[in-house]
Amino acid sequence: MNAGFDRKQLAAEAVAAWAIAKKDMIIYYLKPNIVIAGLLFPLFMFLAFAAGKNVPLGALIPGLISVTILFSSSSIEPVSIPIERRTKTFERLLSAPVSLHAIVVGESLSGFLYSLGIALVPLTVGIVAFGDTISSPIMLMGGMLLSALCFSTMGTLFAAYPTESPGDIMSMLNLVRLPLIFVSGTFIPLDAMPPIGTAIAYFSPLTYGNDLIQSAYGHPASFNPLADVAMLVIFFVIFQLIANRLYAHFND
Amino acid sequence: MHAIEVNGLEKRFGEILALDHVSFTVETGEVFGYLGPNGAGKTTTIRILTGITAPTGGSATIFGWDIVRDTTQARRKMGIVYETSNVYDDITAWQNMMFAGELYHVGRIDREERGKELLEIFGLWDRRASRVKGFSKGMKRRLTLAMGLIHDPTLLFLDEPTSGLDVQSNLIIREVLQSLTERGVTVFLTTHNIEEANQTCDRVAIINRGKIAAIDSPERLKKTIQSVQSVEVAFEGGGARALSELAGLPMVSEARKVGDKVRFYTEDPGGLLREIVSYADSHQDRVVSATTLGPTLEDVFIRLTGVQRPKSREEEQ
Repeated sequence: MNAGFDRKQLAAEAVAAWAIAKKDMIIYYLKPNIVIAGLLFPLFMFLAFAAGKNVPLGALIPGLISVTILFSSSSIEPVSIPIERRTKTFERLLSAPVSLHAIVVGESLSGFLYSLGIALVPLTVGIVAFGDTISSPIMLMGGMLLSALCFSTMGTLFAAYPTESPGDIMSMLNLVRLPLIFVSGTFIPLDAMPPIGTAIAYFSPLTYGNDLIQSAYGHPASFNPLADVAMLVIFFVIFQLIANRLYAHFND
Repeated sequence: MHAIEVNGLEKRFGEILALDHVSFTVETGEVFGYLGPNGAGKTTTIRILTGITAPTGGSATIFGWDIVRDTTQARRKMGIVYETSNVYDDITAWQNMMFAGELYHVGRIDREERGKELLEIFGLWDRRASRVKGFSKGMKRRLTLAMGLIHDPTLLFLDEPTSGLDVQSNLIIREVLQSLTERGVTVFLTTHNIEEANQTCDRVAIINRGKIAAIDSPERLKKTIQSVQSVEVAFEGGGARALSELAGLPMVSEARKVGDKVRFYTEDPGGLLREIVSYADSHQDRVVSATTLGPTLEDVFIRLTGVQRPKSREEEQ
């Protein structure tokens, strides 16, 4: 296998991954269960946290952005993949001349882009309505992009479970997503949590994504931004590798 | 080079041996039928040959590419049309075609030209902008086949291509298959429709319980069971009484109602014809027509697999 072939194959894989993402965007972005899980759910969580708290709403916006990205990026594949298993269109992807990596990336890409689009809503509301200022746009962009990458791949990973019912995967996913909100410093700062909560927070990718976004807003950070980036990249690679293994295992 | 070469293929699911050292070759340009009862191992074979499932033993190559080691290269050569019409209902026929083209690395210009050509061939061009959700079963089937051909494959896997289709779709698909084989495309066909296999295939493999029971041309397979012959008779009186009385003759191995006729299976058609005439004389019944028939591919299939012959409507009643 020579380098020329590698480049050609890589380009073909990228085209196929993008085709899968485009297809998902057209078909699934407006499905009611995705809109509810990706947009309305984080909004209600935000309102629940904001109500009764004696802090300016604008200060909670970075947490809302983090939670929105968590929910919206991981909501597409758990719906699309079981539906495609049921309609046998997933077999079309599995039998195409592309690697499992390309399929996983393509599936994740739609969630990634969806969440970035959705996260622009609280970001804009924060700036326009509450006068939020962003002290480091690069950190904000990095935090949003890496969080979206990480959580969309997490959604694809969960969707590897061989079921034809989106509800089965959403239930499992919520068992992970909901606790993450409470232990990752999104609405409750890490230093206000009990030691056990802080310890768990180290194992949550949301901790690092949220930390980076909080830093971008000039809020106190718990970690060095480079450490946040490194941890998010590590989580992304782990999710990608596990997802590949699971799809290969369950398709057999 | 063989289009498909399968050597000692084995697939285990835990304790269950789904494929038991299956070996065969398919030549380039051949239409190869793969027949077997439900659960015989047909789907497992296709899943392995298309690289979705890995075998637990043996090997398979597609135009020389090993399906486990060189999966991507092997898949580029093949088009796959599954039994279920796996099209995307929420997008248009055109979007489905373009998506299939992108998955198979067909460039934009070729994709659009070929997409138009195929939709025209399959009678779907006028509906290209319609969502597939509103398509009939036959239209979805035609679209599935068109999507499988977007990258101009040299090997086509077809799983039950005409099962349960309307006449128009059936005819279009048969015509397309004929033109593909004339162009030298290799076709690997699985079907329950034995007559379809008889008419379409150059060779047929019959798989049963994970093992290949026979491989040969339909005509040669039929010759292997020349002893299974039958006499089909139409009686003026309908034949119900004749069926019950003549079925008991020692020379009759099986008797069944086929439409308005009665078919008797025998190794001695001449002797049976004499018995039928004698029965008609003694019962004041009249033989309207009598035809002796050689073995069919269905007879071969039943002999080799041991499955029950499907009951006619009259027999069910």
